[in-house]
Amino acid sequence: MERYRDIVPDFEAFKAVLHRPLFNCCRINTLKMERAKLLERLDEKGVGWKIFDWYPFGLKLDVESPGKLLENLLGYIHIQEELSMVPPLLLDPQPGEVVLDLCASPGSKTTQISQMMNNRGLVIANEPSLARLTPLRSNCERLGVLNVAITRYDGRNFPRGSFDRVLVDAPCSSEGRERRGPGILARSNRKRSLDLQKLQIGLLKNATRLAKPKGVVIYSTCTYAPEENELVVEKVLDDARLERISIPGLKDCPGITEWNGETMRDDLSNCARYYPHINDTGGFFVAKLIKN
Amino acid sequence: MNSSEVAGLWQSRFGIPEKAFAGYRFFRKAQSVWMISGSELPDLSYEALGMRIMNLKDRPWKPTTCALQILGKHATKNLVHLNDSQAMIFLEGKSLPIESNLEPGYVVVLYREEVLGCGLYSHGIVISQLPKERRTTSCS
Repeated sequence: MERYRDIVPDFEAFKAVLHRPLFNCCRINTLKMERAKLLERLDEKGVGWKIFDWYPFGLKLDVESPGKLLENLLGYIHIQEELSMVPPLLLDPQPGEVVLDLCASPGSKTTQISQMMNNRGLVIANEPSLARLTPLRSNCERLGVLNVAITRYDGRNFPRGSFDRVLVDAPCSSEGRERRGPGILARSNRKRSLDLQKLQIGLLKNATRLAKPKGVVIYSTCTYAPEENELVVEKVLDDARLERISIPGLKDCPGITEWNGETMRDDLSNCARYYPHINDTGGFFVAKLIKN
Repeated sequence: MNSSEVAGLWQSRFGIPEKAFAGYRFFRKAQSVWMISGSELPDLSYEALGMRIMNLKDRPWKPTTCALQILGKHATKNLVHLNDSQAMIFLEGKSLPIESNLEPGYVVVLYREEVLGCGLYSHGIVISQLPKERRTTSCS
């Protein structure tokens, strides 16, 4: 963790917040339930809620086991980390489009994309692991999704397509989840990040190939390691350009352009880094690419 | 399977109008029927296409709970409305005595005008057909 001292603003505040647990959050699933009606139901039950400053369908819940709420079992809400709702928002899928979610399970982002498309068009949810298909299918069913088809390719070799938008929510060292699972940051190291980097570069290169010209590719991780973030994104900048990310109500830090004494491309500052002590969330990284 | 074959079955059991199925495509794999939005499907190898809506293995055919939660709001017959305590029992996956003149078979189970899922009605009893992972013992 110490290796991030120079890139994380107010490092002491960062370290301090990691010991505080996170709020439980959920997304209102408008495929099954109107937002106003859902909020009314929570009020009726005496469940406290607060809408995110930056996204009208995200809620912080003041309840111990949100998974046990009837609203969750019936698919009116989906338990989802706050920042996990960022990539679909930036992907901005439109009804009728064809979208690829290359690393889909357990489907929180897949189903959010489906919701944003109002169950129209097509989302291809790819997940190579057989074991991870079960939660993906189960979440799609519970949330009433009708525009998702599931494939099971290695994302690096997903064969063909010409997608309006592609999401790569890559497997990563998950350092940003420290507040959910203490000890992740302590176990994390550069060697492990470099191993993951090979996979991440393979996924992002293929995703960029699969997008239409002018199509959108979102790359995201829940980790701080530049090896898994800017140094991955850098590899596709001959084929795509970075668009500056800015979400009103959610403070981000620019992507880094210098690491371990080496200078990287300036435009990598268009990526967004989210730190837990700044918005009281987990940690996250996201890049928005427009294919040439 | 084409749209009108599927719609015909749902119309005859639940009175759901054919237009609820418009704009979707249907696929049969073994004894299951799947429903997906009408878009062209790219040439890929698929694990699943949309939502599994019904099983044709036994007679009568069986609707899935997830499909009833979407389509059941259009149903006009073979409906069972539960009160608070009955709904809790149903959600635990248990059976309920219900006085009714329903046709025996699968029914749409509702609570406060919202579809909870699929039940099997026979001889004055509704047996919850909720999948295990959708049941609860301590629901709030």
